[in-house]
Amino acid sequence: MRTWIAVVGAAIMTGFAAWMLFPTSARPQAEGDAAPYTAPRTADGKPDLNGIWQAVNTANYDIQAHPARPALALLPAPPRSGSPGNTRATPVELASPAVRPFGAVGGVPAGEGVVEGGEIPYQPWAAAKKKENAEHWLERDPEIKCFMPGVPRATYLPYPFQILQGANKIVFAYEFAGASRTIHMDPVGDSPAPTWMGWSRGRWDGDTLVVEVTDFNEETWFDRAGNFHSEELKVTERYTPASPHHLLYEATIEDPKVFTRPWKLSMPLYRRFERGKQLLEYKCVEFVEELMYGHLGVVDPATGQRNK
Amino acid sequence: MNDRYKAGTLLLAGAIGVLVATYGSLPTSTNAQQADAAWTQTRTAWGDPDLQGVWRYEGAIPLERPARFAGRESLTDEEVAQIQKVEEEQAAQRLAGAEGAAVARRSVGESPIRGNEYNSFWQDHGRPRQVSKQTSLVVDPRDGRIPYTPDAKKANERASARYGVGPYESFLDPDTGERCLTDGVTALMWQGPNGGHNRIVQSPGFVTILHEEYLDRRIIPVDGRAHGSIRQWLGNAVGKWEGDSFVVDTTNFIDRTNYEWAAIFTRPSETLHLVERFKRTSANSMEYRITVEDPATFVKPWTAVIPITRLGDDTQIYEYACHEGNYAMTNLLAGGRVDAAKKR
Repeated sequence: MRTWIAVVGAAIMTGFAAWMLFPTSARPQAEGDAAPYTAPRTADGKPDLNGIWQAVNTANYDIQAHPARPALALLPAPPRSGSPGNTRATPVELASPAVRPFGAVGGVPAGEGVVEGGEIPYQPWAAAKKKENAEHWLERDPEIKCFMPGVPRATYLPYPFQILQGANKIVFAYEFAGASRTIHMDPVGDSPAPTWMGWSRGRWDGDTLVVEVTDFNEETWFDRAGNFHSEELKVTERYTPASPHHLLYEATIEDPKVFTRPWKLSMPLYRRFERGKQLLEYKCVEFVEELMYGHLGVVDPATGQRNK
Repeated sequence: MNDRYKAGTLLLAGAIGVLVATYGSLPTSTNAQQADAAWTQTRTAWGDPDLQGVWRYEGAIPLERPARFAGRESLTDEEVAQIQKVEEEQAAQRLAGAEGAAVARRSVGESPIRGNEYNSFWQDHGRPRQVSKQTSLVVDPRDGRIPYTPDAKKANERASARYGVGPYESFLDPDTGERCLTDGVTALMWQGPNGGHNRIVQSPGFVTILHEEYLDRRIIPVDGRAHGSIRQWLGNAVGKWEGDSFVVDTTNFIDRTNYEWAAIFTRPSETLHLVERFKRTSANSMEYRITVEDPATFVKPWTAVIPITRLGDDTQIYEYACHEGNYAMTNLLAGGRVDAAKKR
């Protein structure tokens, strides 16, 4: 119990720390922002997107606009208190006992959202499932289990990622869970199987790197709010250099099984230009073993006692 | 995910170069020879030697020298021809669907893991391994054996005895591979349970190695910076070019000697220090040399020289979602509970 609280807490704190340091809003960039800038070129003449980048927003909490709230997991129905006839105020949102010890550290910061137009066009059944996902966040969010985050979520997790432009292949290396993507800039066959991080084919559109991502499984989410997709997901990403220190990121989401029409999210990505900055390991499999398996063995390593 | 048990079994057996189905194809030997004859080291757009592509060890040379070749660093032409013949026969047997000794794998009967025949589908049913005169990948010490400390030797024997047998009382009992953590950086370039595929990608200031298994990834800076101070599973690597050789020095490993390792020589400790040299020798081959120093495991440094092969351009690194599909862990622990109940 304690360990998984710590895992969730660590993830919350990371996001919260980033938000405290850079309380910049994630409002989608105005149309004109990126237009005048021309990216530097690599030695082989391509736009140079090499570097370590990070989103600074609250999209991983919820890609849609959301007010602040006390915790990621709330009590579903706080009881009314007091005696009959007493008009004592009634709390409407209380942290679930599982995350209550974190107090303000475990709170969810408000955000304007990154979905263009604000609305996610779910089909009716899918809207109901999204709501149910949110209510069961603690059991269902793949981030909690250190599963690969999928696309576009990998982009705006509160961890940096690095773009490494090679010959015909561009590597996207994400710190979270050590997930990587190979962007094929040369012709490539089809993916032999559905995947967590998708199958990525890239091309240049002027200064913009356009990546078409397909062959997803249906396991990944868009955020901690339960936004989800099916295996028919197709993501078209656009990475446009907007200054020496930022990219404009746009992702068009298509999934005819879940949504009624394509929709889009967008945000700036910021360069991590601290001297000597490197992408570090976040091998979180080790961090979630007690949560996932501690109760399953003969002995629980957290207590040293036999499991009942 | 029984494939990982099989993998570790092969690691322990020192059966190098687990051959696993590759989606890509090699150039034919004739094409490769023609390409090699005309080959000169190609360069990246910014002038570094170009090592990019998907690489894998395809040799039949064992890591440590087998007892029957004790005292000898190379084979005779007759011995090479004999081994070549065996490799070709075994490849043909694999294609014909044979199992066990006929394909130089442990048979079901020999395996400590019941139902091991399931795993044969992971193995390559095509190419024979490449035979050469070298009797061991280890070239220093001259006896071709890894110079374990007495304690490490015991740890290795213990790992062998436990493998596929247990006891599995908690998630700490399976080895690091079964836990979907890593099999260790030492064998990354030339070994791996499901084939040891590595993609090298070069960008200005960095050489990146994507290792298929366990999502292991090394982003090696080549800009003259000093070692970072954060300890990590794969350490902290810095690279430099010496002529056409890429030299990587790695320190600041995390200590995980307390975990179970399928093969002790790959485990990280705070005193582990690796020096690796990558030198392309033709269009489709590279000499990979690794010197391993760690007083926690070895009485002196040792060096292995490993010929690795560049696979066809259509070879890809696929997504190794090990942890995401680790049903083996749940099943192992369930088995452990049954075993414990029987003993009561």
